Amino acid sequence: MEKKIELKIIKEISRRDILFSMVRIPNSERLQVGSSDFKLYGFDLSHEQNEPISEGLAHESYVTGVAGTADFLVTSSYDRRLVWWNMESGNPLRTIENAHQRFIRDVQASPDGKWIVSVGDDMIARVWEAASGRLLHELHGHSIETPHHYPSMLYACAISPDGQHIATVDRIGTILVWRSDDGQQVAKLEASEMYTWDPKQRRHSIGGIRSVAFSPDGLRLAVGGMGKVGNIDHLEGKARVEIFAWREGERTHAYGDNSFKGLVESLAIKTKGGWGVGAGGDNSGFLMFFDLADSTKAFRDEKAPMHVHNIKVNEAGDAIYAVGHGKIAKWTVST
Amino acid sequence: MHPFKRFFCGSSDHPGVSRREFLGGSAIAAGAFSANMRGLECFGQPVIVDQLKQTQKRVILLWLAGGASQLETWDPKPGRSTGGPFRAIPTSVPGVHISELMPKMAKRLHQHTAIIRSLNTRNGDHGGAAELMLKGRRTDATVPYPDLGAMMARELGRADSSVPDFVAFYSETEGRGNTLGGPGFLGSRYAPIQIFEDPIPQDLRRLDEVADGDHQDRERLRNLLSKRFLRNHLASTVQSHNTAYERVKGLMSSEHLFNIENESQYVRNRYGKTQFGEQCLVARRLVEAGVPFVRVARAWWDSHGQNFETHLELVTELDHVMSVLLDDLQERGLLEDTLVITVGEFGRTPQINASLGRDHFATAWSCSLSGCGIRPGVVYGKTDLDGMTVTDGEMGAGDLFATIFKAVGVDPHQEYQYGARPIPLSDPGTRIITDILA
Repeated sequence: MEKKIELKIIKEISRRDILFSMVRIPNSERLQVGSSDFKLYGFDLSHEQNEPISEGLAHESYVTGVAGTADFLVTSSYDRRLVWWNMESGNPLRTIENAHQRFIRDVQASPDGKWIVSVGDDMIARVWEAASGRLLHELHGHSIETPHHYPSMLYACAISPDGQHIATVDRIGTILVWRSDDGQQVAKLEASEMYTWDPKQRRHSIGGIRSVAFSPDGLRLAVGGMGKVGNIDHLEGKARVEIFAWREGERTHAYGDNSFKGLVESLAIKTKGGWGVGAGGDNSGFLMFFDLADSTKAFRDEKAPMHVHNIKVNEAGDAIYAVGHGKIAKWTVST
Repeated sequence: MHPFKRFFCGSSDHPGVSRREFLGGSAIAAGAFSANMRGLECFGQPVIVDQLKQTQKRVILLWLAGGASQLETWDPKPGRSTGGPFRAIPTSVPGVHISELMPKMAKRLHQHTAIIRSLNTRNGDHGGAAELMLKGRRTDATVPYPDLGAMMARELGRADSSVPDFVAFYSETEGRGNTLGGPGFLGSRYAPIQIFEDPIPQDLRRLDEVADGDHQDRERLRNLLSKRFLRNHLASTVQSHNTAYERVKGLMSSEHLFNIENESQYVRNRYGKTQFGEQCLVARRLVEAGVPFVRVARAWWDSHGQNFETHLELVTELDHVMSVLLDDLQERGLLEDTLVITVGEFGRTPQINASLGRDHFATAWSCSLSGCGIRPGVVYGKTDLDGMTVTDGEMGAGDLFATIFKAVGVDPHQEYQYGARPIPLSDPGTRIITDILA
């Protein structure tokens, strides 16, 4: 039976900046958001006013990732820095300069808050001890160059719910899974359709795998990006999500026949209801809901009020928070 | 409208080209061809021979088709809402910063290169803008103006040259039609050898079905008949016919210049494995052999979506290839006489759209000149804090062309004769920007 889901947008906050990254403080309406103006902003959506409740500046470029533990936040940026922030005061605690040799694209915290992982365009994933900032592991395995001799990019990472595995995804469609305790690579998968090299008309690429998430049981891995593109000047390929049974090395689902075009920038999979959601956009934005029991097509597409860069789903699975191009939005969800 | 100049990239920035417009344009093209022939006659072969002097100057045009972003190359605006994610890095010229995507050029800026940050060319349509930046002037329906390559071929080429005067690479298909303007009223003598997919121009090759011996026998027979005919028919047109044959022989013998396998592995590795790198290596081989003008197009920079990802790919390549090309030219003693122009049809908007793209922008953008006749390390012109407008040293396409001509020792004010009409190389009123010149 086809799943049904009801959505209602209940909050929109307009902004002049582009909001790339977000962490939601558990069981609250508080968001910490990374911005194109290089700042980290705190918002409380339970407040009537739409102004940020905090702001901090410790980066010199776009803030691409925000990860949260019980005690602090960690942010990443194109400036190659990782910055630790005090959760209460909002002040920077620690900065690791040149944490990567190239632009840092994402940072995630382990479920127990003891370590974090960051990924950057040096094509290395680095595991750091959260309390000390000490480097624990370097995960080498993604190609530095694309098959056509251009710099590749390592866009995103995810940590399994039990904290035992890390997944990393890149521009040419490679997905690597690593053991978190010793940094050993344990699986390699390909979503090659998301590498959109144009060999004839324009001779460059656009796209890549932009998002990754584990299922709640840790057995499946969802990756998001964009499918085949005719004109790579624009994000005009169809939004695409693929699901893998990663231990078996098998792609089980491919949601590519969607009504929306553009990149799937962020993903979440919920236990309750067995649905997942991808969000992103081109010049506008979307949410696409997929059912792990149906392998072909998203069962619900929803227009978003902006190109979405990051989403979070709350604990109960009845609210979605999104940040993106010039806006913050919140939907209620009922199934 | 010229049939080859209008081109639709899929952007809402400009409309497409209809079939009716295309067919109408084709008719104009046929008219333009006959105008070309009149132009050729008006020069007359003996006059051309007298005027073509060996100057030993060369030009390589790196044509950034589709429009590269000035903010991710020569004119970064870090920390501004328009600035994007990339930092500005210091260069070898104190106080001058360029995008961090160009670390190799940053180290070399003081050696060879001048940056122009103040182009305001007022045309944000691919076709029209390409024509403007390739010809240095706006379209005039009554005059088929030649492009820069054809003018340089005429001014810098040698009548007795055995190599081509103008070679143009354009491998990608997008935007290719925007560069096919060619010699205009200068005539087909100055048309480029166009190279698209095949790295070695097929037209230079002897046909496989004609054996080398047969080929030479045919040439001897043609020579014999031609000389006999010439004894009884002394006319410039007959001499011109023979000259043309000699030239074809020379061009056919230049096939080896296009084959980079004749270069050492070390040199090939320096330029890298991308097609643009390989074509720039061929460009160096061509200018070294005496080709006065080579245009290497790198398409397609039209980053309406994902501008930063596109520029991370393409500027990284440009930075590497351009710096290797300049080094190589210098090491071979060629850079003093070779001008390297790096420019496209326009820049990109400072505003960042929802697809993280930048759109067409011709109001305040950048280019660079390196090598022959250029004062290295100069940064000419200025834009405002957000890169929205030129605040100092505004330059148009005509000013850029006048400066380019002057850099290679060509008087931009000299005139061609198109029928009864004198046509200066650069439009009246355009300025030579002497600040940029050595």
